Amino acid sequence: MFTNTLFLLSAALTLGGAIAVVYSQNLMHACIYLLASFFGVAGLYACIGADFLAATQLVVYAGGVVILMLFAIMLTGGTGNNINRYGLEKIAAMGNKKTYFFAGITAILASLIVLKIIANVLKDQSTTAVITANAPTVERIGTLLATDHILAFEISSVMLLGALIGAAVISRPRKERHD
Amino acid sequence: MNSTVVTYLSQSKELTNAISWLTKALGFDASSLVAFVIFLVACLIVVGVMSTIGGLGTYAERKISADLQMRIGPNRVGPYGILQFLADGVKMILKEDIIPSGADRFTFMLAPFLCLVGVFATLAVIPFSSGFILADLNVGIFYLVGMASLVGVGVFLGGYASNSKWSMLGGMRGASQIISYEIPATITIISIVLLAGGLSMGTLIGGQGGMPQEWYLFHNPFAFVGFFVFFIAALAETNRAPFDLPEAESELVSGYHTEYSGMRFGLFALAEYIEVFVVCGVATALFLGGYKVPFDLGTGAILVEKLGMDEMLAKNIGQLLEMGAFFTKTFALYYVVIWVRWTLPRLRVDQLMTLCWKYLTPIAIFNLLGCAVWMYAFDGKSIYSLIFETAATVAGHH
Repeated sequence: MFTNTLFLLSAALTLGGAIAVVYSQNLMHACIYLLASFFGVAGLYACIGADFLAATQLVVYAGGVVILMLFAIMLTGGTGNNINRYGLEKIAAMGNKKTYFFAGITAILASLIVLKIIANVLKDQSTTAVITANAPTVERIGTLLATDHILAFEISSVMLLGALIGAAVISRPRKERHD
Repeated sequence: MNSTVVTYLSQSKELTNAISWLTKALGFDASSLVAFVIFLVACLIVVGVMSTIGGLGTYAERKISADLQMRIGPNRVGPYGILQFLADGVKMILKEDIIPSGADRFTFMLAPFLCLVGVFATLAVIPFSSGFILADLNVGIFYLVGMASLVGVGVFLGGYASNSKWSMLGGMRGASQIISYEIPATITIISIVLLAGGLSMGTLIGGQGGMPQEWYLFHNPFAFVGFFVFFIAALAETNRAPFDLPEAESELVSGYHTEYSGMRFGLFALAEYIEVFVVCGVATALFLGGYKVPFDLGTGAILVEKLGMDEMLAKNIGQLLEMGAFFTKTFALYYVVIWVRWTLPRLRVDQLMTLCWKYLTPIAIFNLLGCAVWMYAFDGKSIYSLIFETAATVAGHH
């Protein structure tokens, strides 16, 4: 019963946060709602017994990504008023033919993919997922990362290093050449 | 199943009897209901006690600073002025709650609560004793790191929402400082996790013993250096002096909480003082043996054996002793934190970042490597046991 309650709360938090992000007029507020949504996702992970994943979600998204987004929004001045000096809205209006067309196609594609994924579940009601006992996942994840998925692990670390160096190169003050 | 305060209490016969009686009376299995009630009561106790400790922290801060500056400090309210924090609390609640007209109201009201929630959520995995831990999660220390980072969001939003230049600068400094110093702190935590072989608080403390030579602090030279790296990083993460740049009063009035008044300011201050307790508790758990007491007193086995006590009573006495050990070590560190604040001058911003990125982070990474090599080379033995074994073999030859 507690798992069900936790699931319902997390799902409500995830969906509510996500909807609030989309409908919020203020970018800063949208970022805070996104934080709530991330917490909901962490709760969903905790529901299925993926404790390490839930904690990682908190550390990476709640701790790192949201703060970086807040910094980015603040430093780029994204929270200024949306009306420019001629009294027109700066944000492109959502309701023209082009956006409806692409949004419609995207929605159909996404729903087809989702249907394909859940088709098996809908067909066979007997094979519902059962939550396994709360076995610790940390050791298994560690073993898999260091053995089977070592290549992906190393590639992602090299990619992160590349991003780090790239950021350092971009932000480094250039020395003006005097000739 | 993770061990919690409920699993400890369910060892006693009275609780089992009560559950079976309730099951009969209510007509359904009452064990989860009882577990819920126990958790509720335990959470209330922990939050209440921690808030009191946070309040007393402000009193200790004034009293110790007064000692260091040859003053008397608060001495009017209650004996030795010990009720000063209650008087302050009443004052803050009665004060007018001012929200600046240009402030972002929603964010302004949310920020202190984010700070407080982040700190209170970490209390769930603080090991007060082997039995009294709200939840000994498998990913305990990792969860704690994640939850503590919420404080950074609160500080940043508080600075942003106030619509004041002082607050803005303080908030930005706070956020950049917190996310920078998280790196050496986390890497040091990882090196201790390497020694213990697990992320849960039970595993981390279980690898240590009650005697100082069995602590991870004296396990190997790298862990010894790691303790100081962790402590410095923790000071910076909690915005304590000499790293209190986010609230540097000589340049930023009061930093990110300049515009806050009344209880909202009080919540910021309370969150800071409780967070200091939490990081001191984590330092105790990781390096200073946590709640461990010597001679098997913690499990009560020796009391049962020598004095013929009832088993549950002996266990409870053991828990009390363990709590005493934990709180003594943590308060000793708390004293050091306050002592440092009133002794050292504040760093400059560039010095702060230099210290983090050019000194602490490389040292932390070196310690991590050193710990890994030590575990491989000496089979996970501590330096004390190595010396002891060598001495024993040398003595054996003669």
